[in-house]
Amino acid sequence: MNLAHPFVRAAGLALVCFVLLIVLALVYPGTWLLDTLTGLFASGLLVMSLHLLVGYTGLVSFGHAAYFASGGYIFGMFLQTPDIVAAFGAWSVPVATLLALLGTGLFALVVGLICARLSEIYFAFLTLAFQMLLVSVIQGLVQYTGGDQGLMGGIPRPEFLGLDMVQVKDRFVFSAFLFLAGVLVIRLVTLSSLGATLRMVRDNEVRTAFLGVNTYRVKVLAFTIAGAVAGLGGVILAILTSAAYPEWAGWAVSGEAIFTIMLGGLHSFYGPLVGVVVMRFINDVTLIYTTHTDLAKGVAILFVVLVLRRGILDWIIDLRAARRGRKEDDNVSRALSKAGKEAEDAAS
Amino acid sequence: MIKTKQADLSRRKFLATTGAAGVATLASPAILRAAGSPIKIGMPTILSGRVAILGETASVGAKMAVDTFNAAGGIDGRMVELVIRDSKGKPDEAAKVTRDLLSSDGCALILNGEASGGTFAVHEVVRDTKTYCMHTISETSALTADPANRAPWVFRSARQGIHDAISGGLYASQLAKAGATRWATCSPDYAYGRDTTAEFMEFLAVFAPEVELVGETWPKIFQPDYTENITNLLNFAPDALYSCLWGGDLVAFFDQSSLYGLFDQFQTVAVNMGDVPVLEAIKNLPSGIHSGNRYHKDIPDTDANEAWNTSFRESGQLPTNWAWQTYTGAQFVLEALKETKGETGHEKLADATRGRTIDSPFGVNGTVTLREADNTLVDYAIGYGQTVSEAPHMEGFQPTGWDVIADHEADWMKRKNYL
Repeated sequence: MNLAHPFVRAAGLALVCFVLLIVLALVYPGTWLLDTLTGLFASGLLVMSLHLLVGYTGLVSFGHAAYFASGGYIFGMFLQTPDIVAAFGAWSVPVATLLALLGTGLFALVVGLICARLSEIYFAFLTLAFQMLLVSVIQGLVQYTGGDQGLMGGIPRPEFLGLDMVQVKDRFVFSAFLFLAGVLVIRLVTLSSLGATLRMVRDNEVRTAFLGVNTYRVKVLAFTIAGAVAGLGGVILAILTSAAYPEWAGWAVSGEAIFTIMLGGLHSFYGPLVGVVVMRFINDVTLIYTTHTDLAKGVAILFVVLVLRRGILDWIIDLRAARRGRKEDDNVSRALSKAGKEAEDAAS
Repeated sequence: MIKTKQADLSRRKFLATTGAAGVATLASPAILRAAGSPIKIGMPTILSGRVAILGETASVGAKMAVDTFNAAGGIDGRMVELVIRDSKGKPDEAAKVTRDLLSSDGCALILNGEASGGTFAVHEVVRDTKTYCMHTISETSALTADPANRAPWVFRSARQGIHDAISGGLYASQLAKAGATRWATCSPDYAYGRDTTAEFMEFLAVFAPEVELVGETWPKIFQPDYTENITNLLNFAPDALYSCLWGGDLVAFFDQSSLYGLFDQFQTVAVNMGDVPVLEAIKNLPSGIHSGNRYHKDIPDTDANEAWNTSFRESGQLPTNWAWQTYTGAQFVLEALKETKGETGHEKLADATRGRTIDSPFGVNGTVTLREADNTLVDYAIGYGQTVSEAPHMEGFQPTGWDVIADHEADWMKRKNYL
């Protein structure tokens, strides 16, 4: 095995993070941090998967929350079905998770096949339309989905592999596993030749097509992967709240996901994660003092857009690059002047 | 806007001095108990948007009860502190806020000030985390009536939809007997609106089988323009209208309908009309609208109720149905805490609450009870009357007896397979 291979490095990094998070769960005495992180894992997967479309493929999807909600609903509705838990026993939660992943992937595939034929604003609007369709379906099928009150009565989550989803630590460990698995998938895609193709599509789709690439197919593929990973985020939130709500599929969630990416950084892989943490921090701190959380988030976004003029992580990376650049410039000019002096000395 | 002063201060100190992790440790219940520090009650509610008045008046109610309790010495000198947070009325936000109240603010129990949508979200959280909880706002019957939703440590200090439906059905059957047999409905298009309307029509049919439903129109919640619904109603040409629109929606609907002279054309039963802020907000309040009592200073007509009304209005807010319900909920919680001597384990508190009867300005006989069988409030003043344009805005109040309600409720539960 080639340890220097980017795939191996990415997988190794995910494994190290997983071990660190398990250690955190073991040593942390309270529940606050673990529950907060679990919530962040859920929104993290939503924005990271959307970033695969927005940042890497140039597809601005306005309906990404649909797949997030779809994951949560498939997971919840499957486990709430009578006799399912009895039939699958300890395997109920893993089976439901897998089903949510595949079901959401299939849903995204169907939507992707239709939407990927369009581009730019038409693509954005069509994804939005499918999202509103899902919201209407959820609200209409009151019998199955609980309508606007969401999945009521709790989601049964029997123990598996010694993990009890009602316990904060166990839930955290399982959520961390799902989160890291989802992020790893996206990381591997961006590192692979598919990722390179996606960036080509983003930069110039016509030229990519002329190189013999079926751009429609790769866009659908990216859309499906992103949808499935977002569904995994929905599963985490359904496990945490023991319910699922139609608001999860709302345009506000999709919109906030796009803002979060802009806030964190559009051009760096981990930018969206920074955005998620910042958004949550602003939200929670504001909520302690006042109810105007949206105002605070708006001000933060204005600051990032008008002052930094790029996402936070992009700004930090640029800043570091500029510093390093200056240092290198300094070194070069020093070397040049030294050489010049020596030349002068030699001449004289 | 409502502020919880103590919570603000401790939070500021916390943010300034320690890291988040340190605080979470500080907030852990075991240490709190050892230090004899205040018992924190978390209250998620709606403090922003069109129904902010719900959370604002509910918070005043909760604070009144807590302040009185603390002023009387608390639990052997140990104080109780309310931590109130805004959920914006969104269920997913309500679930998050509740979890945060428990895990990061160190609240030991929940006094839930959410409307129905948020209440079911909070309900799942307190069931999951085994936290003692009092729902104070949601009137949706299934919350406590459906055994699938019950948890022994969760209670409801609010009216129950089915009680109002029985009372309203009985009252409206008199209108039907007087000739109003063609009915139409206009209620908000979400769970509470659909369930409450169905329950009312069900009982109207029980008491007056000759009634016929000629049309339904379902405005969206927080809909700005009701022209479409008003046109529908004019087309249905019913003898009587039922509506469970509430708060700002009811005000908007009435103001817009008045332009069409809608209320001159048929009888109207608007169960949520009786809330004082609604009555005062409607520009030209038509007389003769039939409404439930919600909160009224003369129902029951006692000194205790009058005194409560006066002291509530000192806050600058008008008393609402949500206010007395949350006040009552807080009273039950505080009484239970007193009995457990400040212990907040969910089973102990639940044992101290179940079946308890307390003195109350809102009880028909000066007391209200949390019924043992289903942890829900009974014996509160309930009935229907008619609006008049001058304060106190209601006349001809007809109370419904609790023996009547209990009989019909039992039949209903049998029909629903809830028993």
